[in-house]
Amino acid sequence: MTSIGLPHFLIVGGALFALGMITVVTRRNAVGILMGVELILNAANVNFIAFNHYVDAPGRLTGQVFSIFVIVLAAAEAAIGLAIVLAIYQTFRTIDVQETNLLRQ
Amino acid sequence: MAETSTLRAGLVRLAVLFAGLLLLVGAGIAHATEKLGTPWTLAAQYFGVMGIVWGLNGFFFRRLPLSRFTLPVFSAAAFGVLFLIGFFLKDVVGPFAIDSAGRFIGLVHLVDLIFYAFAVMAVAGAAGCAFSRNIIYSAWAMLFAFLGVAGLYVFLGADFPAVAQVLIYVGGILVLILFAIMLTKQIGEDPKLTNAHLGLPVGAALGVITVGTLTYMAVMAPWKLQPAPGYQPSSAGLGIAFLTEYLLPFEVASVVLLAALVGAVIIARKEIKETTETMP
Repeated sequence: MTSIGLPHFLIVGGALFALGMITVVTRRNAVGILMGVELILNAANVNFIAFNHYVDAPGRLTGQVFSIFVIVLAAAEAAIGLAIVLAIYQTFRTIDVQETNLLRQ
Repeated sequence: MAETSTLRAGLVRLAVLFAGLLLLVGAGIAHATEKLGTPWTLAAQYFGVMGIVWGLNGFFFRRLPLSRFTLPVFSAAAFGVLFLIGFFLKDVVGPFAIDSAGRFIGLVHLVDLIFYAFAVMAVAGAAGCAFSRNIIYSAWAMLFAFLGVAGLYVFLGADFPAVAQVLIYVGGILVLILFAIMLTKQIGEDPKLTNAHLGLPVGAALGVITVGTLTYMAVMAPWKLQPAPGYQPSSAGLGIAFLTEYLLPFEVASVVLLAALVGAVIIARKEIKETTETMP
C-alpha cells in the first residue's frame, strides 16, 4: 500500500504556488510575469484534483470539472495577455513593466 | 625573469598544498589501519593543514598577511574547525544517517518513487522558471513543470485533465509564450529585461513564508478523507457532468474562449491595421 496521501500533493501545490509567486514578483519581463501566473494556476489545479481524489465522494468529479475550467481560462488568459504584451511592444518597443506605465503613446 | 620567479613560487605553493593534502589523508588512513597513534596522527594532520593553508594562501585568499608566526596560529584555528567538523560527521551525523537510511529503505515503495519523481520534476521545473536569468530557459523549464504536473494528475486518477494539460499547456500555451518571447526582444541583449525586479531576497523570503504556511496547513488541517479512494476512468463522467450539471458554465466558458480569441486577434493586429490605413 502506498504511503502517499493528500498532504504530499498539497505540499507540491504549495511549492508550485510559491515559485509562481516568486516569478511574478521578481520578473521585469511581462512575458515572465505571465509565466508565473500560469504556474500559479497549475498549483491551484493540483489542489483541485488532489481534493477531488482524496476528499470528494467516489464517483463525483467536481474537482476535475473545476480544473478543466481553470485550464480553459488559463488558455484565454495566455492568449489575451500575450496579445496585450505584443501590442505594448509594438507601441513602446519594450516589455519592461517598469517603463510601460501609460495606456497611450 | 619576474614571470618565471612567480611561476616557480606558484609551483612551490601548489606542491606544498598537495603535500599537505597527502599528509592529511595519509595520516587519516594510517590512523584508521592502526599503524599510527592518535597524538602522531593529530600532529601530522596539523602540519598537513598548515601546508594546505600556506599553499592556498597564494591562490585563493589573495595573500592574507600571514607571517612566520601567524601562520601556525591560523593553521591551528583551521585545524580546530576541521577537527570539529570531522568529529561531528563521524560521531553524530554518520550513525544518524545509517540509522535513518535503514528505516527509510523499509518504507520505500515503487509507487512512492514515481510520485516523488513527478513531484521533483514539477517543482524543479517551476524553480528553474523562477530563478533562471534567461527567460527562454525559464520557458523550457516550464515544460518540465507542466509535464510533472500532468504526471501528478495521472497519479491522482484524473486521466482527462492530464491529457488536457499536455495538449493545452505544453502544446498551446508554452508555444504561445515562446512565440511571444521571440517576437518581442532579443534574449540576452539587454540584461535589464531579464533581471530581477523586486530583488531575489524579497522573493525568496516571500516563497519561504508561503511554503511554510501552506505546508503547515496541509499537514495540520483535519481533512475529511475518503477511506479508500479508487481509480476509475473519468472521461465519461466528465462529459456527462459538463452536459448536465455544469451546462451553463460550459457554455459561458465557450463564449469566453471565443471572445478572448477575437479580442486577442484585434489587439495584436494593431500595427498592421495602422500601416494599411496609411497606404493610399
